[in-house]
Amino acid sequence: MSTLIKSAKIVDPGSKNHLQKKNILIDENGIIKKISSESAKAKTVIEGSDLHVSIGWFDMKANFNDPGLEQKEDLNTGRLAAAAGGFTEVALVPNTNPVIQSKNDVKYLQSGNKNELVQLHAIGAITKNCQGEDLTEMIDMHHAGAVAFSDGNKPIWNTDILLKTLQYLQKFDGLLINLPEDKYLTFFGTMHEGPTSTMLGLKGIPSLSEELIVKRDLKLLDYAGGKIHFSNISTRDALKIIKKAKQKDKNATCDVAVTHLLFDDRILVEYDSNFKVNPPLREEKDKKALLRGLMDEVIDVIVSSHEPHDEECKKLEFDLADFGMATIQTFFPMLLRATNNKDWIDLIPKFTTNPRKILGMEIPEIKTGEAANLTVFDPGELWSLDATNNFSRSKNSPFYNQQLKGKAVAVINNGHVFQW
Amino acid sequence: MANLSVNHLLGIKNLTEQDLQLIFETADNFKEVINRPIKKVPSLRDITIANVFFENSTRTKLSFELAEKRLSADVINFSSSGSSVKKGETLLDTVNNILAMKVDMIVMRHSSPGAPHFLSKHIKANIVNAGDGTHEHPTQALLDTFSIRSKHKKIEGLKVAIIGDILHSRVALSNIFALKKLGAQVMVCGPNTLLPKYIHTLGVKVELDVLKALQWCDVANVLRIQLERQHIKYFPSIREYSLYYGINKSMLDKLDKQITIMHPGPINRGVELNSDVADSDHSIILEQVENGVAIRMAVLYLLASSKRAA
Repeated sequence: MSTLIKSAKIVDPGSKNHLQKKNILIDENGIIKKISSESAKAKTVIEGSDLHVSIGWFDMKANFNDPGLEQKEDLNTGRLAAAAGGFTEVALVPNTNPVIQSKNDVKYLQSGNKNELVQLHAIGAITKNCQGEDLTEMIDMHHAGAVAFSDGNKPIWNTDILLKTLQYLQKFDGLLINLPEDKYLTFFGTMHEGPTSTMLGLKGIPSLSEELIVKRDLKLLDYAGGKIHFSNISTRDALKIIKKAKQKDKNATCDVAVTHLLFDDRILVEYDSNFKVNPPLREEKDKKALLRGLMDEVIDVIVSSHEPHDEECKKLEFDLADFGMATIQTFFPMLLRATNNKDWIDLIPKFTTNPRKILGMEIPEIKTGEAANLTVFDPGELWSLDATNNFSRSKNSPFYNQQLKGKAVAVINNGHVFQW
Repeated sequence: MANLSVNHLLGIKNLTEQDLQLIFETADNFKEVINRPIKKVPSLRDITIANVFFENSTRTKLSFELAEKRLSADVINFSSSGSSVKKGETLLDTVNNILAMKVDMIVMRHSSPGAPHFLSKHIKANIVNAGDGTHEHPTQALLDTFSIRSKHKKIEGLKVAIIGDILHSRVALSNIFALKKLGAQVMVCGPNTLLPKYIHTLGVKVELDVLKALQWCDVANVLRIQLERQHIKYFPSIREYSLYYGINKSMLDKLDKQITIMHPGPINRGVELNSDVADSDHSIILEQVENGVAIRMAVLYLLASSKRAA
């Protein structure tokens, strides 16, 4: 079935068509047939008032909770929510039940890829059951297709385990992803430690817990070699440390969750558990520093950090509710709102080319003869997330039943088209 | 008649100074009532109040129950130590079950900060927070400030030191909010491990030496060491705490003025407060308890009448 993307501005900094309005014709095998100013006939036509098109978006951190926690999300609902959010590829953290820690687990996540639009990539666990104590068989998982190694939503708290992993992964130039958190400083913490937590009587998670581990890990990187990616950086000072490290050409990269670009801890004054995330929402100064960090290239990647939860885990007293927000479908409007609709086009590499580069994956191109791996989006389209169009199994989003601006209207990949 | 600016008493943070004055004036009247031979008034007849306590409490619960009965309300009690979730029922289900029996007001104590705020988003009944974890204990702060007002005839300009475990204390936080709204100067004092790092952002002075705090203040509100709320070690031993943070009579005798000693109870005698202080003429601890009933009557009465007016 042929598809025409009609009059869309191409966002592809490497290409000669960058920022030009073109029609893109894709044939029934999913190959880009023609990019031109003239229109063409096709069975499916994607059109809109302010269409943009880029290579397919890549989410470097999401939870699809399958296997084991399918009441929150499964691979099917996760794929749909990702497609509706504009993502054609997603790297999944290993925090499932059982944890993704063997080649069979990796293969399970990849098993649908051949016939599906959204391609799922496995991040293998570093330690058994993500408990931070015994190493998993990472070489074996690498051969099965794991794209990186991490304990996902849990930090590698054991210094020796982090050191050994950096050393061990060098055999195949593997990437270690760590959520920097000193768990001895975060026991029982439910939100960022600061004036707001003091006022709310909630146990705080100090910024220090992140900064100490970023420093520690960079020192270990100096000692051991290898490469590291910091997941979900949330504090101004951690960014400063990473910036310095990058100036010295260290093999370190980092990402930020879109949630941390948009909100700060003051939004918690009503104890709304939808805003209970880990790392916690920090202060306004941190949020501003994160936005600056994107523009000055300290932050390489923006992730959704999608963490769906069933109502039973969220509609509770704040300290009893689980950490996490469902974000994958609202990623784009959240990013637009965070940037105040300014300069967001410059951020597109942070969820297209950069994650693929960091994970050592092939980067698709918008070129005649290439397989189409594309996201079509309209920054002006208004919509609201509600029961009729929420593709996730969960609804732990503060945007539920709220109007949003900006929508990923279609994704095209692996010979499939998803339009909504 | 004037009304409160709120439908629930979730915390002092949400009240205006006018609310505080209205509660005090109403409590003045009720204090007179409970000292009459016939201590009961019909103000809350036909109002049903549920005291829902998810955490142990003796005096707060007694005080509320007595206040409710003095106002002629119908009273039911629900107690469950530990969180209801551990028993398989959510807080919302428990409370909705109680409300289904046509209850008008909920007085709730809960170990989770913000639990009454959470509840207020989902139910219609008036809620009185009787203590939510390490967050607020508004009626305690109201009775504390009411007691200071009775003793000193004013609050504005007074220096009040809150001494002890500030980190785990809902009494401290509510008192800070109330005292600041009423124009007092506030100092917190205790081992640094028991002071929240950002407590100064609430506009209070911080002091680590208890003698200096006593020298500074007009009123010392001495808090209980909340051993039950400490999951981690914050100081080496009770012995060392009582040696360096406990208050005894000889310390008070060294001061060049007579200060007022308060304690929300129950006292760990010999730990934060020696008996020679607790039972001395410095202490207004039992007046606090008496005022507690009057204050709670005032709060329940005002919330119920705002509902009736609506």
